[in-house]
Amino acid sequence: MSSQTAEAPPQRLRVIEPKLMLPRVHPGVRRRGRLLEMLDEDGGSALTVLEAGVGYGKTTLVRSWCAERREAVIWMTLDAADDDPVRLWTHLATAVERLGQGLGARALASLGVRGAPVETAVDELMNGLVAYGRPVAIVLDDLDTVGSDRSLRSIAHAIERLPPNVRVLVSTRSDPAIGAARLRARGALTEIRAHELAFTVDETRELLARERIELSGESVELLVERTEGWPAGLYLAALWLRDLEDPDQGVRSFLGSARHVADYLTDEVLTALPPQTRDFLVRTSVLVRFTPDLCDALLGREDSAAMLAELARSNMFLVALDPRGEWYRYHHLFGELLQLGLGREHANELRRRAADWCRANGLVEDAIEYAAGAADAEMVAELLVEHHREFVWGGRLTQFLGWVQWLPVELLLEHPSLPAAGALAAGLLALPAVDVQRQLAVAERARSERPQLWSPYLEATVELTRAMGIDRGDVGAAVEHARRAVAAARAGAEVLSVGALATLAQAQFFAGDFDETRRAALEAVERPDAPDRPDGYIASLGLLALADAEQGRTEGAEAWARQAINYARRRFQTGSWRLSMAHLGLALACTQTGRLDEAEREALRGEHLRRSPQPTVGHAHALLVLAQVCVARSRLERAARELERAQRAIAEFPDPGRLPAIAATVEHDLTTARANTGNHRIVEAPSPAELAVLRCLATGLSRREIGAKLYISLNTVKTHTRELYRKLGATSREDAIARAEALGLLEPTQSPG
Amino acid sequence: MSQPRYRLVVTGELGPRYASAFDGMTVSAHDGQTDITGPIIDQSQLHGLLDRIASLGLTLRSVTPLEAENHEAAASNHQANEI
Repeated sequence: MSSQTAEAPPQRLRVIEPKLMLPRVHPGVRRRGRLLEMLDEDGGSALTVLEAGVGYGKTTLVRSWCAERREAVIWMTLDAADDDPVRLWTHLATAVERLGQGLGARALASLGVRGAPVETAVDELMNGLVAYGRPVAIVLDDLDTVGSDRSLRSIAHAIERLPPNVRVLVSTRSDPAIGAARLRARGALTEIRAHELAFTVDETRELLARERIELSGESVELLVERTEGWPAGLYLAALWLRDLEDPDQGVRSFLGSARHVADYLTDEVLTALPPQTRDFLVRTSVLVRFTPDLCDALLGREDSAAMLAELARSNMFLVALDPRGEWYRYHHLFGELLQLGLGREHANELRRRAADWCRANGLVEDAIEYAAGAADAEMVAELLVEHHREFVWGGRLTQFLGWVQWLPVELLLEHPSLPAAGALAAGLLALPAVDVQRQLAVAERARSERPQLWSPYLEATVELTRAMGIDRGDVGAAVEHARRAVAAARAGAEVLSVGALATLAQAQFFAGDFDETRRAALEAVERPDAPDRPDGYIASLGLLALADAEQGRTEGAEAWARQAINYARRRFQTGSWRLSMAHLGLALACTQTGRLDEAEREALRGEHLRRSPQPTVGHAHALLVLAQVCVARSRLERAARELERAQRAIAEFPDPGRLPAIAATVEHDLTTARANTGNHRIVEAPSPAELAVLRCLATGLSRREIGAKLYISLNTVKTHTRELYRKLGATSREDAIARAEALGLLEPTQSPG
Repeated sequence: MSQPRYRLVVTGELGPRYASAFDGMTVSAHDGQTDITGPIIDQSQLHGLLDRIASLGLTLRSVTPLEAENHEAAASNHQANEI
């Protein structure tokens, strides 16, 4: 395998423009004044939910509402792939950025911090909207296609924090889990349901009049009754009736049939179409969104542009997404109904062709979706291998991992870069260990079963993923794996060097080897590509700060920390957990120079950045630093609490490195500080060995007896005792016992005899 | 062990166009409604079927597991024999 030299990170995945396009309002659509007024009642609610089944005209209504606004509108058509919150918010942030330069930039940068909670980016985006200041409406169409908890929660998070100048309108088929209940309670929610969206007899009359269909009053009423006012049904009826000589007779036949409205009417409408047109509609119905170009490629024609323009004009099946006639999609219901006319094999063949076209035109995500729709796992695997770096480096970890998990194991073994990258993605997402392990197992199987496919890049990826497991609490193993990752990167995966070195530096730090920490971290930051690898760069600078701080090199620590923080600011990465180490290093340095206010601020920030749902070595360390700073600030209660939290976490780690030693030091300092605040001043807290002697003294044993009991020599007992008296400021055994009891170092005992 | 069977009923009679919409299920229309009957492996598949029904703009009237019906039929047979 060729080695990868230092290169610029690959292109991010393109934003899918049609998702952000405002669908065109069909000229035949009637203005539904009654409903438009509901949307604007009381100046318009913060959140408006249009909830009804398919074919109720939700999108159409919102779209015509948008056409009448002067204020800015951000339109986003959601789909199943928005289950990856990074994808979802990348599109929204891009749209906000187009409102005004800089408004979405911080959110976009935040989304680039891999594995970071997406809520940070959402907050940045809300800030951007506040800065915009003017009224803006955000439309989320097809919300029901999004099913993932993480995406839905991020939307709920946004809605809770909507600035006053922002309204959100959502169209959905089912109750959205976005916290609407709370807004309902506050009266900040408008709901429009099927019952309101259904056509009234009057509205139906107007629809028919526009299509120049003459029906008797009775026919109209019966038609509305039969369709229950279902807008899709009525539009289909209109399409059919307008070409009939005797529409009333048509209605009578329709009423006489027990068939489902859509089934009956689709039949009628489709049979009336010229076969060429019908064929075009049915075969292109497999497409999610398309251009004339794609249709031409799909069907081997050259006239799709004209065909689409005519179809968009003459009926409601097609939705034009932009005024230039480039992008279209089918109305959801009609698309489904049309597709029923295709056999599965034929449909899959068409999807495969669509995948090829998308691939050739750089539409990676769409290509993968079509290939998957055609059940063509091979093509999906090929596309993922070609583009996996864009997904993984670009932060689309959830999306990527979803695809990898969909592929059969046989294909993953043939393309080991996929399970390797999948494992890394799972690790970066901080998924439960079992999910990471599953991918690693497949990757390692590939390594042993197909060594000819293996490469230093894959080796480095796998070892890096294992080393990242340091957070699960095994420092020793992390050092081992990180060393291997660094070696593999050197052997032919330069692009991973900075990350591997940073991970090694971190592992060495928690193992307690500051010289090794410094060596690895320096090598990382001195590489020419370091500033292009924010994750590893920030972490390495922070570790240099911590290592220097631990060894009392205060000035060095501060310099490194500030370099990290300034760099992070320029790159909008201040919310990255990797910056926590710089803050903690700075906190320690400030403690050493007596700047306790600043130390506390930095320690709090460092701890906050390092929080995570599961206990991690990094967070436990941050808690210890915070506790240490609290002791220095005499916030002893808080110090005790943070220390206890750290100790609880540390107890669960299989190999916590030097954390127990740090915890012991903090505990020692805390005890000293506590004692110093009482009436009895002590010089220093007694050591555990000395306390053991003290407990024996309290039971009235002689020094010789104490020596026998504790398996130490008489001299040692005497030394300990001397030290005890000195530290407690005591002059006799009784005095020492009394002081120790008062300080809480000894349980009060019954006096002997 | 056989798979549980379900019957889903939707409003309106569905013509042959819909045959391909419900893979592995039997679709039979009568009396202004359509029965969609067949084996369902698990809850995921059931929910997938419900989504499909919604996507096609159909109105769901009922979802019934068919085990119960078989037991009732067996019980009434039993009684009949006893008489």
